[in-house]
Amino acid sequence: MAKPLIVCRDLSIIYNKGKSNEFKALTGVNTDIFEGEYIILFGPSGCGKSTLMYSIQGSLPPGEGTLLIRGDDIYSYPPSERVYFQRYVMGIIFQSFNLIGSLSVLDNVALPMIFCNSDKITRNRRAQSLLDRFGVGHVSHKIPAMLSGGQQQRVSVARSMVNDPKILLADEPTGNLDSVSTQQVMDKIDEINTFDRRTIIMVSHNAAHLSYAHRVYYLKDGRIIREVVNPQRKQIKPVREGETIVTELEQLARLYPYDSIDTLRVKSMVNFLTQTLTFDQIVRLEHATELFIKGKVDKEAFIKSLSLPFERGGVEIPETQARKMAVMADRMIHQADDIRRFRAKKDNAGVFFSQHKLAERLRDHLLQAYRLKLNKEQDDHLVEMIADRVTGVSEDNEFNERLMVTVKNGGLGLAESEADDLTRYFEKIIAQGVDVSYKN
Amino acid sequence: MRVQDLAQLSTRMFKTNPLRTWLTILGMGVGTGAVVVLVGLGFGLQKIILEQIVFGETLLSLGVSATGAQGLTLTSETLTDFENMDEVLDASPLARFPALITYKGLTGNVFVQGVEPPYLRYAGIAASAGTAFTDEDAGDANSIMLSPAVLKLFGIDEPDEFIGERVSLRLLVPADDGTDVINEVIIDKEYTVRGVTKEEGVLNAMMMMPELRNYVGIEEFERIQVRVDTNQNLPIVEERLIGLGYRVSALSKTVEQASKIFQGVQAVLATFGGIALLVSAIGMFNTMTVTLLERTKEIGIMRTLGASPNDVKYLFVSESIVVGFMGGVSGIVMGVSLGVAVNVFLNLLASQFGGQAVALFSFPLTFLLFIALFSAAVGYLTGIFPARRASKLNPLDAIRYE
Repeated sequence: MAKPLIVCRDLSIIYNKGKSNEFKALTGVNTDIFEGEYIILFGPSGCGKSTLMYSIQGSLPPGEGTLLIRGDDIYSYPPSERVYFQRYVMGIIFQSFNLIGSLSVLDNVALPMIFCNSDKITRNRRAQSLLDRFGVGHVSHKIPAMLSGGQQQRVSVARSMVNDPKILLADEPTGNLDSVSTQQVMDKIDEINTFDRRTIIMVSHNAAHLSYAHRVYYLKDGRIIREVVNPQRKQIKPVREGETIVTELEQLARLYPYDSIDTLRVKSMVNFLTQTLTFDQIVRLEHATELFIKGKVDKEAFIKSLSLPFERGGVEIPETQARKMAVMADRMIHQADDIRRFRAKKDNAGVFFSQHKLAERLRDHLLQAYRLKLNKEQDDHLVEMIADRVTGVSEDNEFNERLMVTVKNGGLGLAESEADDLTRYFEKIIAQGVDVSYKN
Repeated sequence: MRVQDLAQLSTRMFKTNPLRTWLTILGMGVGTGAVVVLVGLGFGLQKIILEQIVFGETLLSLGVSATGAQGLTLTSETLTDFENMDEVLDASPLARFPALITYKGLTGNVFVQGVEPPYLRYAGIAASAGTAFTDEDAGDANSIMLSPAVLKLFGIDEPDEFIGERVSLRLLVPADDGTDVINEVIIDKEYTVRGVTKEEGVLNAMMMMPELRNYVGIEEFERIQVRVDTNQNLPIVEERLIGLGYRVSALSKTVEQASKIFQGVQAVLATFGGIALLVSAIGMFNTMTVTLLERTKEIGIMRTLGASPNDVKYLFVSESIVVGFMGGVSGIVMGVSLGVAVNVFLNLLASQFGGQAVALFSFPLTFLLFIALFSAAVGYLTGIFPARRASKLNPLDAIRYE
């Protein structure tokens, strides 16, 4: 691969320069983006990722440094000629779709071609074919307001492609969309990258999208703090041997996109010290557990996916251990159901009898799990504590302390380690069973 | 951007914001309508006056009469003197005698005027009914023209009815021996009324000079119309004649003054209309500015999609030209309909009360065309500043504008 398509060298952008509200949006940014790459500019809001994208788009002249697109300094052209790049080299998708409400969907898509003086028949044909391709061809005569958000964004993707640009810029294209529409739009953009071989530069703060990209530039406070290569995609940018190596940190960076390099190093170390599983295994385990909790796989399938060798898509945990895990998880899930029922009763108000019964069942389960034997008084106290905890009257540390309080004073009189174990286990079940813990 | 696309994009406001667009057009329309009505009134008044005056030779003629004070008289020699002046092409005299006119037993006093056909051209005498004397009628001995007042004398309301009627005359000729005796010369025949003149307030009967000479010797003329060769020489001849002691009247002067007055009137009327137009233009300017703010985001979108600053500018300018032109057209429609309505109403009144019908408003086509173009130009002017601002907006700021 020869020269990069987009080159930024020491790019700095300052808003309101010389005024009291001067703001340095970008500082010393260096990027090389190659043709056909899928690049994500990632970072929290205000980090300068959109600024960088709009600078590449041609709307924000850099204060310092150079920005070359196909070897051309686009800001050396007057605005009337710079539009050439916006017409033929770049397409753009916005978070808020930015379709023009007074034009039909078809005219919206054809609009960039209007500025290129193309005739009506040609552009309508082109626009319609793109709308068909992105699954919104049937609404081409409607106005944008009559479309759902997902449809509008797909129209906007069609519009960005109408002049067949080399580069597709996307400014948080899924920020206003539900998950189903997000998936559709991300798939379409991915298709444009892999199938049409267009260069994609996407601004995002959704970590779930990072796996689509070849490379991710992480920005913070106007600087690129790291560049992460996605090992799952074949790289286009030539990597000189030994210059950069893919480490566990890259993988962690995708798992924890908001953490700094230092934090990631800590995570890597703690993982090794406390867990026998690697991050890859943990990711798999999490996935399998998710399916199990949601009830999408049964116990046997769960055990199988845990015990299968890693190469065959499993987590590679010894089968006996996997079985133990499955039993434990299964039990917790069932107990969590009781928690849920308990809380549901609470909301319905008043039928104390069955609520009491549920609390008793939870008590029995806890005792069984920890093989504890209690007298009548302790039993009653525990039921009361469980009810208090599940209804939210007491908090986890209060629950824990009361376990250690003497029976005479309304507690259970357990030893500290026993109390801690019981509290931890019970809290895990509650976590599974309480649906909306932040409900106000 | 192609013209048809520009047209499509710049007429969207009729769909997206019909009420405001039409109100703006109406505002412009009322303004231009005021101009159309007022200037139309000016044109109408001017036309009323000028229509009464015959152009051409009349304007190049001087009416010369003796003042009497210095003992000057107009005789055949005077006539020859006038004709011999370098700048004078021709001179035509008018002789006048008191007379009695009789029609179906009714008799009244009139003045009989003897003229030669050119006199009618030079003095601008035309027929309001029937026909006037022409050059072929120089030897005519059987017909006369009467002034409208003579018809009133006989109780005739419709001049046309009187054409072809026959009247007889008796001339009252002062004796030429210096006494106050007046001889009555009876003309023993009847004359056919061939035409009615437009002269108001005088009792005149006009016949050909040779016919008059058959009954009376003419020593002195009442008046001589002097036809000067060019417009430039008119004041020179006028000056010279006044120097000689004659009283000179020039129609051209009257016309000039009337035109000047009416130009003044028109200017005043146009100023009032112009103020109305200015007010509506400011209103339109305001609307265009608000539209700009409202569409800031759209401008940003278009700019990022590849619209050049000029594309944006053209879009705004053409929009305001459309509004301005439509305003002009509606103003023309409103103004002309109002003018025509008033005209019709006045004519109705005139026919009811027996007055003369006049068109108080007049709208020359070129004037209306000018107004249409002018209102488009006003539209352009009100649009150009917002348009320029729009084209200079930073696309990124514009797209983030809410």
